[in-house]
Amino acid sequence: MEHARHVLRVAFVLIVVLAAVFLTRGLLVPKSYGLYGPFRYDNVQEQMNVRAPAYAGAVACGECHATEFGKREKGSHKTVNCEVCHAPLSFHVKGDGTVVPAPVDRSFTLCARCHRKILGRPAKFPQVVLEQHVPGPVEGKVCLECHDPHSPKL
Amino acid sequence: MPEISGFSFPNDVHVTWSLMIVMYPYITGFVAGSFIVTSLYHLFGRQEFKPVARLAMATSFAFLLIASLPLQLHLGQPQRGPSVMITPHFTSAMAGFGILYSFYLVILVLEVWFVWRQEIIERAKRSRGVVRAFYAVLALGTYDQSPEAVEIDHRAIQILAGIGLPAACMLHGYVGFIFGAIKANPWWSTPLMPVIFLLSAAVSGIALLVILYQVFARLGRRPVVPSAMSALASALWFFLILTITLELLELIVMAYERSESWLIISELITTRLEFSYVTVQMIVGGLIPFILLAVVVLMNRYLHERVRNTLSTVAALLCLLQVFSMRWNIVIGGQLLSKSLRGLRSPYEPEVFGREGVLMAIALMIAPFVILWAFDRVLGIEEGEGEPEDASPSEGGGAASHAPNA
Amino acid sequence: MDAKRDTSAASSPGSPCSSGTAGDGATRREFLGGALRLTGGAVVVLMGATVAEANEKGGEAKGEAYNWEEHLYAYLIDTSKCIGCGSCVRACKNENQVPDGFYRTWIERYVVGMEETHVDSPDGGLNGFPPIQSGFVATKSFFVPKMCNHCRKTPSTQVCPVGASYRTKDGAILVDGDRCIGCGYCVQACPFGSRFLHPATHTASKCTWCYHRITKGMKPACVAVCPTGTRQFGDLKQENDPVRLAIEHDRVGILQGHLLTEPQCYYLNLDKEVR
Repeated sequence: MEHARHVLRVAFVLIVVLAAVFLTRGLLVPKSYGLYGPFRYDNVQEQMNVRAPAYAGAVACGECHATEFGKREKGSHKTVNCEVCHAPLSFHVKGDGTVVPAPVDRSFTLCARCHRKILGRPAKFPQVVLEQHVPGPVEGKVCLECHDPHSPKL
Repeated sequence: MPEISGFSFPNDVHVTWSLMIVMYPYITGFVAGSFIVTSLYHLFGRQEFKPVARLAMATSFAFLLIASLPLQLHLGQPQRGPSVMITPHFTSAMAGFGILYSFYLVILVLEVWFVWRQEIIERAKRSRGVVRAFYAVLALGTYDQSPEAVEIDHRAIQILAGIGLPAACMLHGYVGFIFGAIKANPWWSTPLMPVIFLLSAAVSGIALLVILYQVFARLGRRPVVPSAMSALASALWFFLILTITLELLELIVMAYERSESWLIISELITTRLEFSYVTVQMIVGGLIPFILLAVVVLMNRYLHERVRNTLSTVAALLCLLQVFSMRWNIVIGGQLLSKSLRGLRSPYEPEVFGREGVLMAIALMIAPFVILWAFDRVLGIEEGEGEPEDASPSEGGGAASHAPNA
Repeated sequence: MDAKRDTSAASSPGSPCSSGTAGDGATRREFLGGALRLTGGAVVVLMGATVAEANEKGGEAKGEAYNWEEHLYAYLIDTSKCIGCGSCVRACKNENQVPDGFYRTWIERYVVGMEETHVDSPDGGLNGFPPIQSGFVATKSFFVPKMCNHCRKTPSTQVCPVGASYRTKDGAILVDGDRCIGCGYCVQACPFGSRFLHPATHTASKCTWCYHRITKGMKPACVAVCPTGTRQFGDLKQENDPVRLAIEHDRVGILQGHLLTEPQCYYLNLDKEVR
C-alpha cells in the first residue's frame, strides 16, 4: 500500500472536486424546480401574467359603440369580431384608459381578404370575382360604396 | 431569405443547427477515434501500436479540451450553458452531454496523469523555482518511482483504459443518438445513426493519427516505425469498410422500402446534396481511399516504405474529408428538408465571420494542435524527451532508448 | 521530500496530524472515510433543504384562484369552414408580439388534383391568400390552419436538456424563456414545425394557446377572431363542452398520428394530403 500513496492522493483530489461540484449545483438549482415535474414551476405563474390580453371581443367594443354593435348583431357579420377589421382593443384603449384613434382600412383590400373568390374557400361562402360583381369599370371602386360593413348584406 | 422548392412549413426554413454543430461531432469523433487507437495498445496489448499510443492519448486529450466549445458557441444563450449540469433533464440525450463529458474528462485526465507520471517526476527533479513547484503540484507531491509503484501505474492505466473506452464511445455515440432518435426528421431517424457515427469517428481518429504520427516523427527526427504504419493503415481500412457499408446500407434500405419520406430524401440527395454526398462523401472520400488502402494492406509485403506511407497519407486525408462531409450531410442535409416532406430549401451557406462562422471553425480545428504542442512542451509526448531548457519541441530524439515499461 | 509530503497532508481540511511513518496507512484510511462521510452528509443536508423549501412553495401555489387541476384543454379545427382570411394569424401576431417571418400559427392552402397536389402558405397566411393558377385540374381545394398541437406525449419536451420546455397539468406545452439555453433541439424534434428560435431572445418560442388568456377564462386570440367558427377551444374536463363532445362522438383526425405524439389539436374533415 505504501507504493499506492499516489493513487490515494488522486482519489482524494477527485472526491474533493466532486463534492465541490455537487455542493455548488445544489446551491444553483432554482427554488421551484422539480415541484410538479422537470421544470421551474414559477414559470407557470409568469406565463399566466406574461402580458395583458390584446383582444377583448365584440361585447367589450359594444360598451362604447352600441350603435355599430347593434347593427352587427342583426346582420350577416354577426360572427365577425370587430377586432378583425378594426384593431384589437389594446391598440385602441390603453391600460390607463386613454383612447387612441384606431383607423380602419377602408379600401378594397380589407374586404377582399375574405370575400375575393380564390381557390380554397368553401363554395357556400359568399365570395365574388370583382369584375363580375359590379357593372361597369372596376377601377377605384370600393366595397363600402354599397355595403355597410356592420351589416353588409344588401 | 432562403429559396424554397415545393412547400416547407413556414417555420421550417431556418437552419438552426449550424456549422458549429457539424464541428462538434467532428471533434468528438477525433476524441473517440484517437482513444480507440491508444486502447488498442494499453488495453488490448497490440504491440504494433505502441509507437503511436502516447501520441494518440495526447491527441484525444487535446481534442477533448476543445470539444465543448462548438456547443457553447452555438447556444442562443451561451451563459446558460451550465444549466445542463445544474438541472439536467435526463430524458434528453443532450443532458447526457454534461455527465458523459465530465466523466470522460476525469477518466482521461487520470489516465494521462498515470501514463506521464514518470515524466512529471523527472521534470520536477530537473527544474527549479516556479517550474519545479508546478511539476510538484502536478505530481501531487509523490515522487515514487519504484518498480512496485510503476506496476500499480500499469494496473491503473489498464483499468482506466477499460473504463475509458466505453466512455469515449458513449461520448461520441450519444451524438449519433441525438440525431437518430428524432422521429420527426426522416433523414436522421434511424437506429443505425449512433453506430455509423461511432464507426466514422474511428475512421477520423485513425486517419488523423496516420498523419500526426508522421508529422511528429519528422519534427522529432525519429524514424517512422513501419509496423505501426501498417497497423494504422489496416485499422483505417477496416473501419472505413464498416462505415461506408453501413452508410450505403441505410440508404439502400430506405430506397427499397420506399416509405413516405423517400420521395423528398431522394430529391434531397440528387439536388441539394449531390456534390457533398455523392461526389465527396461516397466517391472521393469513400471509394478512392478504399482502393488506396486495399493496395496498402493487401500488397503490404511488396511495397516500398515510402510508397506505403504516401498512399496511406493520401487515403487518410481523403478519409478526414469523408468524415467531415458525412457530418455536414447529416446535420445540414437534415435541415434542408422540411417536415412537410414536400419542400427543400436552398443550400446552407455558413457565415465567414461571426460566432458560428467558417473562421471560427478553422480556429477550433487549429486549437487542439496548439494544445498538443503545449502538451509536448510541458510533458513531452514521446518518452525520455524534451528537456525544458530547449526552445524547439521534442528535441533530443536521437538517443531515444525506450524504457522497457510503457 | 518528506517535508513536502507532510505540508501537503497537513494543509488538507480536517486531516489529523500525520508524521510520515508506517502508521500512515491506518490514519489515511480513517481520514478518507471521515471525509467521505462528511461530504456525503453535507450533500444530503443541502438537497434535503432544497426539497423542503420547494414543498412549502407548492402548498402556497395550490391555494390560488386558478387551479390547473380543474382543466384539460383541447382544440378543434373544422377545415371545411376555413376561408383562409388570415385573421387568426394576424390576431396571434398582435396578441403575442410574434416576430416577422416566424409563425405561432399559420394556414396552409391545399389545391388537390387527381395526380398532383399544390400546397402554399404565403407568409403563413398573414395577409390572406392571393388567387393562384394551379397548372393542373384541381378537383378540390381547402385551407388547413396549423399551430402547436400541444401533444400529450410530445418529443419536444422530451429532448429539452434543461427542462425549460414542459407540459402544464391543464395540457399546454410551454417554454420557460428564462431557462431556455437556445440549443434548438426542441425545434428539430417537433414533427409539425411549430417551434422556432426567437430572433431577438434566441430562445425557443411557439404557440402557447394564449396561456395568459385561457387561464382567465378567455379563448385564445385566434379562436376569438375566427369569423367562421373554424377554430374552437374547449375543456375536456367540462361536461357538455362542445369541443369535448365533438372529439367524443364525431370522426376526428390528427396530424402524423403514426408518430404517437397524441396531439391535442383535433381536425374535422382532414384530408389525406395534409401532413
